[in-house]
Amino acid sequence: MKKLLIWKALARGVVLESVRRKDIWVVAILGLLTILSAGALGFFGFSGLELFAKDLGLTVLSVFSTILATLASCRMLPDEIKNRTLYPLLARPVSRFDFLFGKFLGAIAVSWISFALLAVMVAIALFTFGVTFEMILLQYAICKMMGLVLVCAFSLALSTYLTRAAATTLSLVLLFGSSMILRGLTMAALGSPDMAWLYTSVSNLLPQVGLFDLGSRAANLNWTLVPAWVVLALTGYMTIYSAAMLTLSWAKFRRRAI
Amino acid sequence: MAYSGIWAIGSIAVLVGSGYFAKHLSPLVNPPGRPLGLEAHETHAGASLLGQFRTSTSSWLWLKTDLYLHNGVELRAQTEAEIAAGEKQIHDADGWHDAIGDEVRHVTAIPEKHGDPRGIFGDIERATQSYSDMQGHTHIDPKSALPLYRLMTWLDPQFLPGWTIGATVLANERKDSAVVRALDYLAEGLVDNPQSIALRVEIARLKVTRQRDFTGGIPILRDAINLAQAADFDANTEDGEAALDAFRWLSLSLREIGEFQESIDSAIQGLRLFADDPVLRRMANPAPGIWTSESQKSYYEELGKS
Repeated sequence: MKKLLIWKALARGVVLESVRRKDIWVVAILGLLTILSAGALGFFGFSGLELFAKDLGLTVLSVFSTILATLASCRMLPDEIKNRTLYPLLARPVSRFDFLFGKFLGAIAVSWISFALLAVMVAIALFTFGVTFEMILLQYAICKMMGLVLVCAFSLALSTYLTRAAATTLSLVLLFGSSMILRGLTMAALGSPDMAWLYTSVSNLLPQVGLFDLGSRAANLNWTLVPAWVVLALTGYMTIYSAAMLTLSWAKFRRRAI
Repeated sequence: MAYSGIWAIGSIAVLVGSGYFAKHLSPLVNPPGRPLGLEAHETHAGASLLGQFRTSTSSWLWLKTDLYLHNGVELRAQTEAEIAAGEKQIHDADGWHDAIGDEVRHVTAIPEKHGDPRGIFGDIERATQSYSDMQGHTHIDPKSALPLYRLMTWLDPQFLPGWTIGATVLANERKDSAVVRALDYLAEGLVDNPQSIALRVEIARLKVTRQRDFTGGIPILRDAINLAQAADFDANTEDGEAALDAFRWLSLSLREIGEFQESIDSAIQGLRLFADDPVLRRMANPAPGIWTSESQKSYYEELGKS
């Protein structure tokens, strides 16, 4: 119970910090731009672009929420150390693992709030285009939110080993490039069966955030809902991969001289 | 008070008048095609950047259109190794790839379950992404992609595939009015690309194949051929392939209206540029006895022209 309170307080601190830094305003402005862009397409008379609008809306949602989750996760630890706000925190009965985990929960909360805000904006934009709600859009949102947990865990882990700038850059490169890198590794494995084990092992180590993005199914026509076993498998993967990233973060952070 | 009313009316009149004249001035101050000597992209970073953005966006829209036509299923070209190993490619059932002249051997970008070394990750990817076995696949109604062709040509009027494939989509509907709309669309493209061989060939192709208007198509093909014989013609561009088609269609059209010798001459003319083209070679060297004066006579008799 006490642990829960500690984690909650730390997570709340991350959310408040994000509000203070006006991250949420950035989200609101980005969302507003999305709506205006959608309106502009209508203004120029390009009717019949519902499919394109839906695809573009979901892409914007996915890209911006990933960027915000990465930025929020990568700056927490380096900023606490740089601003020396870490010392009073650790002087209290807060273990280093509690600190990391609380921050991790905070990053998830910030990215989920940002995602929800953006999702509302995109939904308004899509509504103006006459796009109707489908259940797969809800499934897309749920899976995307699970993917953001993975993004936060991965970025947080990198920020314990690298500087803030390096962690942010590497996270963004690996998260946005992962689909291309994984595709390349898969093709390499298909092309040389003898070395397939190596390529497959490397690809298994990378964060497979693309698996959580149901955008291509949600944006196109007549795709069915993803089966329950897949959602369960994704939940399991998210839990295991995030736990591994947190363990790596903790392994580094607990030995860190402050 | 009275003066202000006159000023207001006068201002509106000037606005309306300038709007009217702007329409006439536009071709002078903003001529279609690339103005000679104006190479702003080489000297101004801003112009270069804007140009890059424009062409990148229209290319991205092009890729998106292909994706939408396949209902989100991503395809890729087969590698040389896959072709050499005799791995099967996917085929469509509605002939769309043939209609747009796509000769690339495709497979799905996400590998099929058989042979995928990734195990459960592969299964999850196939379940969460828009994947399906594309053997004998069909396409969603190409008409739904029309606004995208319009958007990409609006963004980059020099993007020729946007005009040619857009016209193919329009003409795909088996109606005479659809062909007329496709021809109007291509004519619009020709205003922005007055030196384009590809657009001329596409216009002529529609006239010849869909309207059976050989006499209307032949002058356009001759225009295209004149452009292909210009000193600055580059056979390695989109127009290079179109130039070959121009010679082929011209030769075929001339044969169709009974101008056999001219058909042979135009094929020979084409062979000077495309020496190893088997179609032109066959058109230039018809089998002995096929186009003799007797065969021409009987042809005209059949047509009721003799």
